Amino acid sequence: MRWRGSLHALHAEWTKLRTLPSTWWLLVATVALTAAMGAAAASSLTTRVCPTPTACHEDTVKLALTGVQLSQAVCLVLGALSIGAEYGTGTIRTTLTAMPGRWRVLASKAAALSLLTSAAGVLAVLSALGLARLILPTPPPVDGAMFRAAGGSILVLVLVTLLGLSLATLLRDTSGAITLGLGILYVVPVLSHVVNSPTWQHRLQRWAPMPAGLSIQATKNLAGLAIGPWAGLGVLAAYAVGLLVVGGTAFRLRDA
Amino acid sequence: MSHTTGATDAAEATIEVRDLRKRFGRTLAVDGLSFTVEPGTVTGFVGPNGAGKSTTMRTVLGLDAPDSGQALIGGRPYHALRTPLLEVGALLDAAALHPSRRGRDHLRWLAHSHGLPMRRVDEVLEQVGMEQASRRRAGGYSLGMRQRLGIAAALLGDPPVLLLDEPVNGLDPEGIQWIRTLLRHLASEGRAILVSSHLMSELEDTADHLVVIGRGRLIADTAVADLLTAASGDRVRLRTSSRTEAMELLAREGGTVAVIDRDTLTVTGLPAERIVELLGASRVPFAEVGAHRATLEEAYMELTRDAVEFTSTPASDADEVTR
Repeated sequence: MRWRGSLHALHAEWTKLRTLPSTWWLLVATVALTAAMGAAAASSLTTRVCPTPTACHEDTVKLALTGVQLSQAVCLVLGALSIGAEYGTGTIRTTLTAMPGRWRVLASKAAALSLLTSAAGVLAVLSALGLARLILPTPPPVDGAMFRAAGGSILVLVLVTLLGLSLATLLRDTSGAITLGLGILYVVPVLSHVVNSPTWQHRLQRWAPMPAGLSIQATKNLAGLAIGPWAGLGVLAAYAVGLLVVGGTAFRLRDA
Repeated sequence: MSHTTGATDAAEATIEVRDLRKRFGRTLAVDGLSFTVEPGTVTGFVGPNGAGKSTTMRTVLGLDAPDSGQALIGGRPYHALRTPLLEVGALLDAAALHPSRRGRDHLRWLAHSHGLPMRRVDEVLEQVGMEQASRRRAGGYSLGMRQRLGIAAALLGDPPVLLLDEPVNGLDPEGIQWIRTLLRHLASEGRAILVSSHLMSELEDTADHLVVIGRGRLIADTAVADLLTAASGDRVRLRTSSRTEAMELLAREGGTVAVIDRDTLTVTGLPAERIVELLGASRVPFAEVGAHRATLEEAYMELTRDAVEFTSTPASDADEVTR
């Protein structure tokens, strides 16, 4: 009975996402931005500074996946809209009369969003890497590091979507959640360039969600990273899941 | 309707509110409210704006948590219902639709939340006459279409209990008539229906029972027929072209006279036969002497006079002539 109820809730949330045109536009934008920026970054690369074309130190996998830095913002919007629009239109009350279990509603939204974003993420990463292979004079090797960077980038997109969902659940407002989310993602890294203290620069790069999360894209010179690839992704996951728990607790306790 | 899951189960079809209290900041929205909605009746839930109707309904639906007291559906709190749409249908705010989602898709996700067959979506859309419009996006709907879609959503699980918050608000006369007929029909199937309104006249000919509240407290919990009888009193209504003469004469003989309009009076304290005799003897012209039947609106005004938050000088008081 309980698992059937959960499946029904997931089906309902999936239908809600699927029946809004904005969902599909945002997913298309995620794929297009990732691919286009990756292609642009790959074509801007020159081999003149390299000792030999094969001995170049440029992390071409990371370069090809540059677009994730921008397309994650689209995922943030998708996540924030999925519940923010319900507060905006008042349909949250219809949702909660049909599905009174609030944790179940939030978990279903998170699951439906994760499914859609990871599908779009696979397409985005494949097209970015595919285009880079066509453009780059020496295509990056297909190895474990490349798979980690590719799979990790998909996870970054999923986690940022969940971050958007968490913030909008907490704030009950789409625009507020997007503003706060963009601040967390982009302003904190900018601060790390502004502060003078190298200690603080290092700390911000380790603990700010975007630089930490994107360290999963590194395939070369790992020793030079402020935080290891998986540890970095863990930091981003901690933000997303932590805020989801905070948002969910507020959602559970508040009047709708 | 082919689908009658719960409507036949009359024992479960009730809404019980027991000593409910809810405070928002410094305002006590609901203050010790108790009432029961019985199966097979349309219960009007009436009170001025801000009286606590919507708060009560949200509490019954488990959206707001009460500070104390209980709200039960068929004896159970809302969050204990495993399949709420099959037990309660609710329309809280007809405007609550995503503008870019099609009406049909709005019902689809609701049906999916309970594993209901898509056939039910078609059935309720047909019942409210929205088959065609449901293929369009909800952003382009008129208020009437939104109300109809909201009622379709409430009927989706064929529930034995219905809660409708101001379903008539903003509808054209045809829409009002449609809702009245539908509610009477649904009640005749044995459902318990709670319909809120801030205008008593909207419930005329629809409600069997009334729960009247003001400032979060119960003012009256009564059958409509009893309320009308009480409000009509033993008043006699008559038309006369010589209003002043008639008023003086009848007041002198012990009647309490009130002016309804330019040539209509109501008289309390004198039987109709005596009025005819007095006016005839004094050659005061008159016509249409009969028992006065109060409208629901008049009865309501009398009940809520003390409870409305901002009272202007009531016109009926100013017109009263008592000697």
